[in-house]
Amino acid sequence: MSRVLLCQRDELAPGELKKVAHREGDAICVYNLGGTFYATTDMCTHATASLAEGDLEDDLITCPVHWGQFHVPSGKAVTFPCERHLRTYKVIVTDREVFADIALEADEALAAANSPV
Amino acid sequence: MDNNKHIPLRTIESTPALGNLDRICDMEEGRLSGKVFWDPAIYEQELEKIFARCWLFVAHESQLPKSGDYLTTSMGEDEVLVVRQKDASIKVFLNACPHRGNKVCFAEAGNARGFICNYHGWSFGADGGRLMGMHESKCYEESQFDKSRHGLREARVASYKGLVFATFASDAPTLEEYLGPMTWYMDVMLDMDEGGSEFLGGCIRSTIECNWKIAAENFVGDILHGGWTHDSAAKAMLGGPVANVGELPESYSVNWNGHGYEFATDVVGNAATLGEKDINKYLHVLRPKVADRLGEFRSRLIGAISSFTVFPNFSFLPGQNTVRIWQPRGPHKIELFTWVIVNKNAPQEIKDKWRRGAMMTFSPTGVFEMDDGENWEYCTKSSRGVVTRYQDLYVGLGMHTRLENSELPGNVFKGQLNECNARAFYQRWKDLLQAPTWADVPDRNGTLR
Amino acid sequence: MTHEQQDSLVSVEETRRVEQFLLREARLLDGECWDAWLHGLSEAIHYWMPGIENRRREDKSGPYRLEHMAFFDDGMRELKRRVARFKQPSAWAENPPTRNVHLISNVEVYAGPAPGEYLAYSCFINVRSRGLDEHHQIAGRREDVLRLEADGLKLLKRKILIPNAMLLCKNINTFL
Repeated sequence: MSRVLLCQRDELAPGELKKVAHREGDAICVYNLGGTFYATTDMCTHATASLAEGDLEDDLITCPVHWGQFHVPSGKAVTFPCERHLRTYKVIVTDREVFADIALEADEALAAANSPV
Repeated sequence: MDNNKHIPLRTIESTPALGNLDRICDMEEGRLSGKVFWDPAIYEQELEKIFARCWLFVAHESQLPKSGDYLTTSMGEDEVLVVRQKDASIKVFLNACPHRGNKVCFAEAGNARGFICNYHGWSFGADGGRLMGMHESKCYEESQFDKSRHGLREARVASYKGLVFATFASDAPTLEEYLGPMTWYMDVMLDMDEGGSEFLGGCIRSTIECNWKIAAENFVGDILHGGWTHDSAAKAMLGGPVANVGELPESYSVNWNGHGYEFATDVVGNAATLGEKDINKYLHVLRPKVADRLGEFRSRLIGAISSFTVFPNFSFLPGQNTVRIWQPRGPHKIELFTWVIVNKNAPQEIKDKWRRGAMMTFSPTGVFEMDDGENWEYCTKSSRGVVTRYQDLYVGLGMHTRLENSELPGNVFKGQLNECNARAFYQRWKDLLQAPTWADVPDRNGTLR
Repeated sequence: MTHEQQDSLVSVEETRRVEQFLLREARLLDGECWDAWLHGLSEAIHYWMPGIENRRREDKSGPYRLEHMAFFDDGMRELKRRVARFKQPSAWAENPPTRNVHLISNVEVYAGPAPGEYLAYSCFINVRSRGLDEHHQIAGRREDVLRLEADGLKLLKRKILIPNAMLLCKNINTFL
């Protein structure tokens, strides 16, 4: 089963995020960006740091340790010292709950990976 | 067995007190040797036994309005960060990484999430100074490194009406005990108006090649120099000489634990030197309200001829509203940091006039400070000579002028042309250099001459 | 001081006149000719040397601001007061005198914001000596507005920027 429960739909207001530990693998960070949910690995790709403790501004998450930034929908590393992209997860929203399919990447990440730019 | 093993590395190794202090600083007789302004061994002891122990001024709360606002300054020669926390409190940290000691913040002020050391990427949160992480963090994890034990070193912090003080001495008395009854006089500057006071923006920094005590002593109680040293400035700003201080009807010198304030009761004597009629008018209009707030007596001090030093190196002039710290930089040099303090509720044009007025009088381009800096440098430099260094400097003015029955707080002396505050300052200086711990510092209040 | 003013060059004669003004001014200051120096200033002069703050690049506050503390933020009244002190026999720190050299360079002259005005950029090095061993050097950039008035070319505005966030000497007992 690759589906992991992240939170209740009403648990995170827009602009909020949280860390979700689970048995299937690395901890996940779930974000509510203006009503749309996204999920990435919680661990920064640069150093040991939980992104859930960072600052979420618009669609960028700033790591609390060295202030590198990632684009949340695509997982792209955008600001020094972060250079490796974040692993993203496809988010499935039901009536009440938010899940991640940890076998799949987010659509935005796939689109970005296929983009010629 | 090595006993040192059990003393934490952070404990300062106490050096034995110098043996000759009673001879070179005798405040019973009012005699001082220039050696105290020159000797590098004495200076090292001052850093350890005065600057690492006393409560030192680090900031005004108004400089750090928002969470994450910081400024850098120093406590003695120890560089520190002063940071507004998320819970609105203010914390003071050593501005030095606990890995190799590099400075972690190079700006003098700003707003930040935290501070990242340029050397190995150790990152400290502005809130709490905790070590958040490092570059190449995995290698630390393999060494079973405990991040929680390696945050920025934190000082004790306390405020008095907007002024933030800090100390690294765990055995120091509370700030309230440290300032004692002198706060009653500090209120004249800090609390004359219901809105309280604030610092204007910016800080002017300069360097004077003098011993720090000469500057601190000048403000602790030396108006004697005013009429002579500052004749040219007074004539330039007022068109006439400095008021004849000796002829003022009522003036005092008060001190407590080395802090000192000399003052007349002429309401606007200091303020008048700014040459801004509107400032005098502002103070005169405010005065009845100050009388309601602080009483009639203190309402006559709000801009009077006066000066104040909080031991060891924080000084201000009511009326000119200049606030400064004399940062020790070796025995023969200070860095002078100056700010301007105003009533928060004062009209903007009055604040601007104070900013310019302080600049015109007490700043590196100020017409008063120019003649001070010159005097202080040569008071210091002349002590290069061994014979000069052992000259018997006279600090005896005003012996036997203590007012035993005064109702004013602190140790009160008659008149401001009086070296009692300088004697109290040097006595406290010597007591701290001789006392192994805070508990050994004698209480001289009530016994000073 | 990053404005590009290349489209507003003025004639060679005008450029030379402004340059001569700045060089003569330096000579007057070195010679303590205070009154002649004041005569070269407009009654509306704003003579400003802000304090420099050491801030991070991303800090939008910048290194100086008009409403922050300054070394000079003077009009004619303030400048005359400073000169009045220099002239007092009791200006103890000026006797024996401080000896000055003002070196002026990097002069660029453009048309000013209004007709009859010039915008001039220049650099200076001021060397002061006192006593036997005091030697203080301050270098910086200036941005001036000069104006043709009834009795000649006058300095209307001066902004002085030094690179130092802390002055490495006890005072500035001259003009820059």
